[in-house]
Amino acid sequence: MAWIDFLDLVQSIMDGVMFGATYSLIGIGFTLIFGVMHKINLSYAAASVGAAYLSLLIVSVAPTPIVYLIAALCGGVLGAVIYWVCFKFLPLNQSLATLMSTVGMLLVLEESIVHATAGMPQNYPAAFADVVFNVGPFVLRGDLLFVFLLGCAVMVALKYMLEKTKLGLATRAVAQQPIAAQICGMSVDKTNASTFIIAGFLGGTAGAMTGAAIGVLSPLITLPLTVKGLVVTVIGGLGSIPGAILAGLIVGGAESLFQFVRGVSERDIYVMLMLFVFLVFRPNGLFSVPGGRD
Amino acid sequence: MDFYIGLLQVIGVHTLLGLSAWCILHTGQVSLAQGGFFAIGAYVAGMLTAMAGWPLGLALLTAALTASLIAIAIGFPALRVKGLMLVVATTAFAEIVRLVFFNLKWQVQTSNGLIGPDGGLGFGGIRYFPANAWNGLEILALIWSLVATVMMALWLLDRSRIGTLWRAVGEDEIAAQSAGINLTAAKVSAFGIGGAIAGLAGGIFSHNTTHIEHGNFTILLATFAITYPIIGGLKSLLGTLVAVVFIQGFLIEGLRFLGDWRSLLFGAMILAILLIRPTGLISAPLSLQRLKPTKYELEKGQTSGARHA
Repeated sequence: MAWIDFLDLVQSIMDGVMFGATYSLIGIGFTLIFGVMHKINLSYAAASVGAAYLSLLIVSVAPTPIVYLIAALCGGVLGAVIYWVCFKFLPLNQSLATLMSTVGMLLVLEESIVHATAGMPQNYPAAFADVVFNVGPFVLRGDLLFVFLLGCAVMVALKYMLEKTKLGLATRAVAQQPIAAQICGMSVDKTNASTFIIAGFLGGTAGAMTGAAIGVLSPLITLPLTVKGLVVTVIGGLGSIPGAILAGLIVGGAESLFQFVRGVSERDIYVMLMLFVFLVFRPNGLFSVPGGRD
Repeated sequence: MDFYIGLLQVIGVHTLLGLSAWCILHTGQVSLAQGGFFAIGAYVAGMLTAMAGWPLGLALLTAALTASLIAIAIGFPALRVKGLMLVVATTAFAEIVRLVFFNLKWQVQTSNGLIGPDGGLGFGGIRYFPANAWNGLEILALIWSLVATVMMALWLLDRSRIGTLWRAVGEDEIAAQSAGINLTAAKVSAFGIGGAIAGLAGGIFSHNTTHIEHGNFTILLATFAITYPIIGGLKSLLGTLVAVVFIQGFLIEGLRFLGDWRSLLFGAMILAILLIRPTGLISAPLSLQRLKPTKYELEKGQTSGARHA
């Protein structure tokens, strides 16, 4: 391989890893909800994209950072709505019922987006799009770097929230042993709802980051984002937040690598095969949570 | 009239798809791979009749067998995991299948010109039915006789030893294992039979539409496949049929007059049904009893937060 090809290869992996921060955030959202409720929320990625769409409502009057902030807040609101509609009133021992209700929600969200925008892709504002850093032979795109750093900042904030605040303590307690948490006076219902809201904040940020990195938002990105988010969750290990972060970056980098080597139409085949390799050799993911969950 | 024949054909094909998911759901597993098996059946059967000139019956049988073998092969690694992990693993499998067909270019020269899968453009010219002068009613009769056969076979299976094993595994894996049931055998056999039914459905689908492409086989199709048995209720086979008629006949075709709003209402209706009847349309207790916790639930302390995957 020529030196120049090698540089291109490393460059594309770097870009992929930076974009992978969005996958990490989506993966964390799935993992958080799974950790607390032992349920999958399939509408999560759709809600994240939906939150980014909602933030487009103010894009003409507000500066870009405010648009991102609004996206995160809308994500939180949508998270609360999803908890209320899809989980609160369903019997939780019927795991298929909540799976199906979130599928229904996914369809509602996706169709609402199509309905509101007539299916046309919408431009999304990027931050630092014209900034380029040269690091040795490599180029760091300002917008991707911003997305990566924003993702890291949100993850640090989440870690602080989970470990240093009362809400985080309650979240971890309910995740470990809901009945004992209830005996100690924590409201399981409120903790579940707040987990959905926190996951929603992350999702809204991820939706905004995806829009900022790609430059457009389209209803077509909801399903791939859902699939990638689930892949990240499994590779990282269910319920493991550090696992989701690392797996998101790995999936982002691998996706970019395969795209460079095999082209855009084949890249996802190899990403999915990578998942199978993980399922066979490390079925519990990179960081499995102790205690033998299913 | 043609419209109704077409609708009934769609309902038939989707019933088969729903029944394939029913087999796997019966063992307590959620598989989103059904769309993948469906796609394999569609492409294999289409290639055999259009490119190799096989008769339809043989092509459908081969399609079902191929899908079944692939289902068994994929079942062994995939069934090492369960719950969410299996959902993701089967999703990944279905996406791999779709993308392989998206990239597959293999055309041969026949008397009708170049025929075969053409990558992203899809696979057209599967003209077995028009070439042999089948009319809509005859195709309809073929589809529904297959649906009836499969339903009958599954009904008998459900009452046989295999059905009992599947249900035991579906109800409680640990209890089933302690009773000496081979979990892997039960799950993989359900995967194989479900894969065969999905392959059969795919084979009919490709001949009925004459043109297939990777976009027909997205995760959405697999989601529909598991939606039918879940909405219909897992207790009975008829539930799946009722759910297909309800979703394809009423929600998709019957509400067409609503125009754009129809697809919006679709998801909302599914949500509403689940809120009213969380165990499916056809399922045992018909009252609003479930709003009050039963004595059993109270004793087990199942509140809204109790962990129960």
